[in-house]
Amino acid sequence: MLKILTSGFVALILTVSGASAHKVVLSVYPSGAMFEGELGLSNGDMSEDQLVEVFDERDNKIGETKTDGDGFFTYQPTQAGIHVFRANLGAGHVAEVTVAADQIQASSGGAQAAAMPTTAVVTPEAIVSLSSALPDRDAVAKMIRNELRPLRQEIAAYKEKNDLQSILGGIGYIVGIFGIGMYVAARRKLKRASS
Amino acid sequence: MHIVDGALSTEVVVGGAILTVAGLGLGLKKLDVERIPAAGVLSATFFVASLIHVPIGPSSVHLILNGMAGLILGWAAFPALFVGLLLQAVFFGFGGITVLGANAFNIALPAVIVYYVCRHGIAQPSAKVAAVWGAIGGALSIALTTALVAFTLALSGEEFLPAAKLVFFAHLPVMVIEGLLTGAAVLLAHRVKPELFHALTEPTMEVSQNA
Repeated sequence: MLKILTSGFVALILTVSGASAHKVVLSVYPSGAMFEGELGLSNGDMSEDQLVEVFDERDNKIGETKTDGDGFFTYQPTQAGIHVFRANLGAGHVAEVTVAADQIQASSGGAQAAAMPTTAVVTPEAIVSLSSALPDRDAVAKMIRNELRPLRQEIAAYKEKNDLQSILGGIGYIVGIFGIGMYVAARRKLKRASS
Repeated sequence: MHIVDGALSTEVVVGGAILTVAGLGLGLKKLDVERIPAAGVLSATFFVASLIHVPIGPSSVHLILNGMAGLILGWAAFPALFVGLLLQAVFFGFGGITVLGANAFNIALPAVIVYYVCRHGIAQPSAKVAAVWGAIGGALSIALTTALVAFTLALSGEEFLPAAKLVFFAHLPVMVIEGLLTGAAVLLAHRVKPELFHALTEPTMEVSQNA
């Protein structure tokens, strides 16, 4: 009976494999005149069809976007200033990233926009004229972004990795903390016994 | 199960912290020398159990094992689970430091409730009856934790019922697994160390008998 039970739950544990966290990972980066971002859980599962809301610095909602099948989303900014991207995957899984829209204009290479970032507003016409003026630059930028994407994902995944060292380290801390507790309690007991 | 930083309103974070400090105070009072090693082992178990994931739907849930901690430790589960949660936040980034109070309360209070609900069942002379009570305790603690998590989220503005349903159904497999696990652990303890639960529920009596 006991053997069956034991082997039963050993099998259960083995089937639920994978030592990974389930933290929400939200990353947003400027990409040309847009924001690009990714949303997923830190175990590598990307969130499909998930609403990402965008707020300004005064917490007013200024827009929203949805992720595609790979947890990837884009957002076209309509105003300058701080953009706060917020995603709520339910059950307390929330993530928030703050980006300044100024980064967008700077990365799209507009010298004028960079000179007065707080007042500049990206309009669709401006983007069209910019991209027609610099076709190569845009194409190259897009290519580099595509090339870098897997690398960025890998770095994000690496940051979330829990390796054996941190697990053993944590257990070590627990042993230490309870060891100190034991010491204090034992001292107190001895003192009480001697008095 | 771990609520992350920024998901809760300030009032809820402060409230959770106050309740947890109260729980810690009570727990430390009940944590006598005999119980410290058990508390340490269960704290480490809880710390590592969170790394065992059950993939489900878009998310994944992990083992918690607060029921087992509660059955053995009673109120002393508060400091044991608090230490585990603190280190999970620091090492793995589960939850967060500001919401530590709320998370500790959500996980440790069900452990204490399970202790009171199941301790008589666990102390039964029949190993099978005790194992069933252990299984009930293991599953019940998860159910209570999901309810508390949903309640905490509701206090911070989320709708209670949808959140509660979502968390509850996502943790059904965990309830089954932890029920089996806790039941088996109680069964094993009954076979090899029958005095464990008695010794821990009545530590002073046991000590005087030994002495």
